[in-house]
Amino acid sequence: MKNNRVLILMEIAIFAALGYVLDMIGFGMPQGGSVTFVLVPVILMAFRRGIVAGLTTGFLIGVLQVVTGRFYAAPLSFEIVIAQVAIDYFIAFMVAGFAGFLRPAFLHAFEQKDKMKMVRAVVLGTFIAAFLRYLAHVTSGILFFGEFAGEQNVILYSLIYNSTYMIPVFLVAAFICSILFVKAPRLTLPNLH
Amino acid sequence: MLEKMIFGRYIPGDSFIHRLDARAKLLFVFFFIMVVFIANNWITYGILLVFTFLIIKLSKIRLYFLINGLKPVVFLIIFTFLLHLFFTREGPIILDWKFIKIYEEGLKQGIFISIRFTVLVILTSILTLTTTPISITDALEILLNPLKKWKLPVHELALMMSISLRFIPTLMDETDKIMKAQMARGSDMTTGNMKERMNAIVPLLIPLFVSAFKRAEDLATAMEVRGYRGGEGRTRYRKLEWALRDTLTLLTLVVLAVILVYFRN
Repeated sequence: MKNNRVLILMEIAIFAALGYVLDMIGFGMPQGGSVTFVLVPVILMAFRRGIVAGLTTGFLIGVLQVVTGRFYAAPLSFEIVIAQVAIDYFIAFMVAGFAGFLRPAFLHAFEQKDKMKMVRAVVLGTFIAAFLRYLAHVTSGILFFGEFAGEQNVILYSLIYNSTYMIPVFLVAAFICSILFVKAPRLTLPNLH
Repeated sequence: MLEKMIFGRYIPGDSFIHRLDARAKLLFVFFFIMVVFIANNWITYGILLVFTFLIIKLSKIRLYFLINGLKPVVFLIIFTFLLHLFFTREGPIILDWKFIKIYEEGLKQGIFISIRFTVLVILTSILTLTTTPISITDALEILLNPLKKWKLPVHELALMMSISLRFIPTLMDETDKIMKAQMARGSDMTTGNMKERMNAIVPLLIPLFVSAFKRAEDLATAMEVRGYRGGEGRTRYRKLEWALRDTLTLLTLVVLAVILVYFRN
């Protein structure tokens, strides 16, 4: 008898580590930020093991980055430092696990062998992941810019600034995940090994 | 491509700071972040700088590593400095040139926030430079233990963290190896346009993921065989030991806070 719980724990741990590694390779962007594949393992775990596993994988990636010192927060006040680390690292990566909402739709499409529907589920799942992460970064951006620009335009600044890298992040992740999950559906189906 | 990747930043050493209990260091940094915001004038920021300098000396870390750690944030520091410089409109004007007006308060706030930023980055850098990620994880597990009451799986999270940390270097090597193997077959992920590069990344990810799942399965089996049953009653291989110096270190923070409160406006 296989203990599934331990196996899931280990898969989450290894994929969080993989997410951390993949966060270091990516395309440099002209405006300075970089587009990495960090979302791919989170979305994969969310599709393979469900929302909770996806959330945990994302959360762990955030914690790993903080523990290894790969994080920055604006020291405007104690609350902002804590809130920024919590939002930009723990929550931002964690919410990507909500891609798992599309897991049933994906599995259904897989059973019907309908590739178009599979792609649609993956893209929609990736969109949820990227959009929620985007919202998290926008919120922390409002906290940060809010200190300087008063009330006006803070939300707009943050929306625009964060979209400059999150749109490519979404496109890249959607492209890679759809190819990956459709070409190698084995990855998302734990029982086929 | 992966040569630049340095994982974790721990530098082995035998300084006073290295020997402190990881829990003490974590608590210290957490409360230090609070204490930093007590400072609000030249004297108090000066005291903070001196205090930080003493800690750097105590940690015996070469300045080079700290400056290296500061590099990625220099842009942020300059950016926040400029924001304060141009957007704070209080006090007498000290520079009025065409459309640029700089106020005394703006300059002051800009300098203060840069000091705060630098001091915080240095302190967190010293934490990660003198403490292994694995002992930070152990310390976090112990410090967060009370959260178990609210059904937060602290032990499981800490276990996964340790496993992740253990496997990050392994996975880095593997990523590098597969990349080179695919490059030898003619795939090129470092040049070409976005679409070409993304197409090249899939042959990297599939073997990487497949072998990662295999690894997870082997690990689970190995744990099963050794009778892993979760947190309750489990003994530790790495032990953290709280000593008098840890208590004293935390006390210096209280002293610092009192001094800062005394000198602030």
